Amino acid sequence: MMQRKFKHGLTVIALAGTALFAPPAQAQGSDTLVIARSMDVNSLDPARAFCDTCQFYLTAVYETLVTLSADNETLVPNLAESWEVNADFTEFTFHLKDATFADGSPVEASDVVWSILRLKNLKGSPSFLMDGLVSAEATDAKTVVFKLDAPSSEFLNKISASYAGVVNAELAEANGATAGDDAAETDKAEPWFLANSAGSGPYKLASYAPDAELRMAGNTDYYGDAPKFSEIVVTQIQDAVSQAQALETGQADIAMQIDPDTARSIRSQDVVTEIVPSYNFVYIGFIPGAKGMADVITPEVRQALALAIDYDGMLDFTVGGNGKKQAAPIPNGFPGTAGLIPREQDVAKAKEMLEAAGATNLKLVAGYPNDNVYGVDFNIMMQKVQQDFAAVGVELELKPLTWAVWRDELGSGEWPITAIYYAPDYYGSAQYVQYFGMIEGFPWAGRAGLGHPELVVNPAEAGLYQQALASSGEDAEMLYTQLGEEMMKDAIILPLVSPNLVLAYRSDIEGVRYSACCNLPLAEISRK
Amino acid sequence: MLAYVLRRLISIPFLLLGVASVSFLLSQMTKGDPLAALVPERMMSNPEIVETVKAQWGLDQPLPIRYLRYLGNLVQGDLGTSFATRRPVATDIAERLPATLELVIAAMIIGTAMGLTLGLLSARFRGSAFDSIARIFALIGSSLPIFWSGLILLYVLSVRLAIVPGTGRLPPRIAPPPHHTGFYTVDALIAGDLSLFVQALTHLALPAFVLGWAVTGIITRLVRSSIVEGLSLDYARTARAKGAPERVVLVRHALPNALIPLLTILGFTFAYLITGAVLTEAIFSWPGIGSYAVRAAGALDYPAIGGVTIVGSVAFLLANLLTDIAYAWANPRIKVH
Repeated sequence: MMQRKFKHGLTVIALAGTALFAPPAQAQGSDTLVIARSMDVNSLDPARAFCDTCQFYLTAVYETLVTLSADNETLVPNLAESWEVNADFTEFTFHLKDATFADGSPVEASDVVWSILRLKNLKGSPSFLMDGLVSAEATDAKTVVFKLDAPSSEFLNKISASYAGVVNAELAEANGATAGDDAAETDKAEPWFLANSAGSGPYKLASYAPDAELRMAGNTDYYGDAPKFSEIVVTQIQDAVSQAQALETGQADIAMQIDPDTARSIRSQDVVTEIVPSYNFVYIGFIPGAKGMADVITPEVRQALALAIDYDGMLDFTVGGNGKKQAAPIPNGFPGTAGLIPREQDVAKAKEMLEAAGATNLKLVAGYPNDNVYGVDFNIMMQKVQQDFAAVGVELELKPLTWAVWRDELGSGEWPITAIYYAPDYYGSAQYVQYFGMIEGFPWAGRAGLGHPELVVNPAEAGLYQQALASSGEDAEMLYTQLGEEMMKDAIILPLVSPNLVLAYRSDIEGVRYSACCNLPLAEISRK
Repeated sequence: MLAYVLRRLISIPFLLLGVASVSFLLSQMTKGDPLAALVPERMMSNPEIVETVKAQWGLDQPLPIRYLRYLGNLVQGDLGTSFATRRPVATDIAERLPATLELVIAAMIIGTAMGLTLGLLSARFRGSAFDSIARIFALIGSSLPIFWSGLILLYVLSVRLAIVPGTGRLPPRIAPPPHHTGFYTVDALIAGDLSLFVQALTHLALPAFVLGWAVTGIITRLVRSSIVEGLSLDYARTARAKGAPERVVLVRHALPNALIPLLTILGFTFAYLITGAVLTEAIFSWPGIGSYAVRAAGALDYPAIGGVTIVGSVAFLLANLLTDIAYAWANPRIKVH
């Protein structure tokens, strides 16, 4: 008996030993693509989701009418094979190609209408994309007509956003989804979308475990070119160092959030790293409407403080030089930014302007989220701002906060300076004016003015914005340039860094690229 | 004894009700915007979206109404829906708790085995080189921050030497076993998949060692000091006088007495690690309850905070009860009433 127990014990120890020294699972030749990232999923419902992970998941699973080509500028057909736009950019007609959803049913104009109306009526995070839409109509099984209440030359770009993916209406409705005017109250489909999908893309949702993994299965009935992998797994790996380790060991094929410093530490010859410019940026924002700041954070003081910042040093300090300066709150490479010249530090002029404005012995507080976004540590960034402000005699107290507290204090005007970031939803400059423009009723005008629009509203911008939306091509570019210049004059939003992006992947993977609309287009990725 | 256990068990729901109420009220009074997890930053200036979300999640109701609704749901076993994951909190916890339990149990086994062995041998050979080495090893384990020891061991053993796998509970390319217990090692064995069991065990080994090492220090010190003290007491002297060899004095007489204070530490540590293994979970991408708790607290995810508090409270209450029972079992002089 004792002998048997002893043998049994030895077997268990041997098994455990085998386990401990079992070689890690290798990627080579695998039919599964593994992506390491810290997931930020807030929903997997196209009309509710709003996050970086959501962008590439939705792009792989739900197809849009048009999409952004690899040049990150040109819109190309997707579910729509062609389209027409009327002269004043208020009516858009799309002609659908023959396509099918993952369950085999055809993609019809009624599905497009239903999906876009649901996006609008759900009042979810991406619903703003459909602001101004007054009607969506299927004129036949393959033709859809959208009408807007005002010109919008960017409507096509908006419709390329991953959140505008077309959903199998019948399937979604059978699982609690609605698209009517009361969708915000009646739609109960969000839990269903967390476990199922209803798109026409090359992949479909297999399973999702929050903060653990998101599994997509290849859509074997895909009407187009067969998906390149039978399965894509997005695995939760929180930090850049661990992601790099997963890449080096072959546990992951792609790591999405590696910063340039970590990329340099990768020794494996089997890992490729490319550093590319991104359209993301981090910025500080002034809030003249904050308590007691109306007569302090004046336009002159804002301009002076903008000149106090050492933008080149900021690049080195925050991302080790792996980034670009950005002039206005419209990212480099977007329409209208070619002619904008980033600010330069001018300490003498800043001091002079502060003195002229009577702002001596200025003491300010900056409240910001205690976070690291796109490789930029906000604490380090704000310490640099603090240092630069000190050089012109302005004392800046730093107040790093949790997101929940930051949001609470932001709305109550607790401090006059904050820091935050922005990533594009689609390729187009209007989204930036719509968010950062000092136009009454627009988000940052409200945030900066806090009930006192007269402190921040720039009367020139509303007209320019309307003209830009009614224009296209070079005319629109010129108007966005003017809007960029006006926003620089506002000096409410000061872009500090546009960090570069590291594309890090195993050497047997190809087709990895950064997209302005969709983050990482999964359908283009394959194994050599 | 049975009556005592029953009394303690009956009191648990009432204690939990109190804990849930305090947790609810404290989280509601905490400064912060609960919409942080529900409305993305860029949409927080959109009043239409904000109002819609508030209404959908009942945040437009006064606090007393929200409290009564919360208690009403709780009594029916409904912990609510997480603001962050948009799924029932009970589902989230049911998914994550087994992951944490598997890790913590493995860590406790490793930590206790190492701590007991080192403590015992250190006491036996006190003052020797082994004693010093064992104490230093234990001290390092409990002094090094887990985020450092975890990352370094992961780098050396996984990246450089490739003798243990990377992070997570299984390689991402491998699907989890069919759910029975939520413990991947156990479920793999139930499924009769030995290869999957080996994979699950391999993935468990390093995080369990890192976490176990962290608790080794306190166990080693406690066992060592208790045994050293025990070896100088009358009962040890009597045993020696009766001709018992030192090994027997150590194992039969000093060790059982050293186990009594150890039980308290083990009970407390186990309960603490249920929600406290956050760093290990983060480094090893272990989808457990600790990381869920931290995320819930940071985002003011009220339902998730409540759910985790209840789980943590249950863990402490049960651990205390089991410790008391174990005390009585280990030391017949102690009676429970």
